[in-house]
Amino acid sequence: MSEDESRAGAAAPSGVHGRERALARTFVVLADTLVADYDVVELLDQLVEACVSLLGVTAAGLLLNDQKGSLALVASSSEETRLLEIFQLQNNEGPCLDCVRTGTAVNSADLEADRARWPVFVPEALSAGFRSVTAVPLRLRNETIGGLNMFSDAESVLAGDDRDLAQALADVATIGILQQRSAHRTSVLAEQLQRALNSRVVIEQAKGVLAERDQVSMDVAFATLRKHARDNNLKLGDVAFAVVRGSAEPGAVPPPLGP
Amino acid sequence: MLTGPATRRTRLRLASMTDRDRWIRLMRDAASDVASQPQRIAELCVQMLGVDGAGISLVSDTGHRGVVCATNAVSERIEDLQVTLGEGPCIDTIRTGTPVLVADLHDRDEVATGRWPAFMTAAADAGVRAVFAFPLRIGAIGVGALDMYRSRPGALDDDELSAALLGAETAAVALLGLETSPDGALLDGADTGVGYRAQVHQATGMVMIQLGVTIEQAFLLLRARAFSTGRSLQDVSVDVVERRLRFSSEDL
Repeated sequence: MSEDESRAGAAAPSGVHGRERALARTFVVLADTLVADYDVVELLDQLVEACVSLLGVTAAGLLLNDQKGSLALVASSSEETRLLEIFQLQNNEGPCLDCVRTGTAVNSADLEADRARWPVFVPEALSAGFRSVTAVPLRLRNETIGGLNMFSDAESVLAGDDRDLAQALADVATIGILQQRSAHRTSVLAEQLQRALNSRVVIEQAKGVLAERDQVSMDVAFATLRKHARDNNLKLGDVAFAVVRGSAEPGAVPPPLGP
Repeated sequence: MLTGPATRRTRLRLASMTDRDRWIRLMRDAASDVASQPQRIAELCVQMLGVDGAGISLVSDTGHRGVVCATNAVSERIEDLQVTLGEGPCIDTIRTGTPVLVADLHDRDEVATGRWPAFMTAAADAGVRAVFAFPLRIGAIGVGALDMYRSRPGALDDDELSAALLGAETAAVALLGLETSPDGALLDGADTGVGYRAQVHQATGMVMIQLGVTIEQAFLLLRARAFSTGRSLQDVSVDVVERRLRFSSEDL
């Protein structure tokens, strides 16, 4: 199957020029984020969104090695419980786990044909409507710190330029996690990974607070958090922390969120 | 190559799931004896992680340090110094929620960072060469910090780091109920390993609003519900997130 066919029917920008423009725009946004005092989780969230819009995949998620023996989801293109569970399931088996273990990209262009390879994962992914999957590693020298996991509802495989682009986005994620600090000490990696993982937990807690307070979905709650952070030039993680701590720390409370 | 203390032989190899499960069980058992929880957790770290001493500080909702324990005089000195000086790895780890790992306090690059000038000198005088501080934290829930030291320079290896992070996670969940639940009734022993499950943290935030309680109380109530109904924390949390389960004032 050619690359063009593989994207047929997906949401990728149509036409070479449209896609190039979108690509350039994405990297301008990412470069802009990386020079400022940025929030890692927000950057990773932009990356999974970029995966969906640029590569035409149906869903994307970013999992990090939590250094406790598990893969932890830090960014997902959708909040649907089903999708979160498919990402989390890969702590036991699946393409993303294989990718992180081997440090190389793992593809399944037709999940149906790979039932024997991942007997628990494949039925779950198929019943969620996915037909193919790709995982590319987040690599730092000899270490693999996580994986970028993409699902498509069409039988396809990311190849050629698309695969290179997916790997480029994964590399940006790795750089972003390490932030501007030099990684000459191995401790820096551990510190930064744990910072990103904990920041994600705070954001999940804050999403729960807003979802319940405003009676909205987790997706809408997250969009509210992100908009508030951007409009007020605040870090997403700081806004989330203030939402959860509420009146406990008056200095950190932002103006009321919401419409 | 530096040789570690004699206790190193008992160290766990977390690459093996059996050892990993054993470690989590050890930490949970230590946490189940409410009166001596922090002390036993610190002692386990010394036995298993090839460090010379460990200490635990707990912080209250308002950020003040409460119960402090330490396995030996040097560890106690490390805890005391940080309270007195108001600076150090433990203070930073509580403030930032990130582990602070210093393999050698004398390392040129480390000294050049200029962080904790007073602590660095005093810690070196006390015979400390490496310090490792881990936050006891679940997202925005800050429970305290777990500090360890070595009298000789040396980073934690991958297994030691995993064990320390797992230990800190288990300890955070176990010690969270310490002040609010003196009888330890909320320690169910079934679900102290939270790991990363988005829905557990989302549900915690939802329960906080449903009941008008703090995030700490919300987490404890969620965990109590899982225990009392014999279900996993994850399953109960998914019900809350999917709005099939709502907490009411009767749950308080």
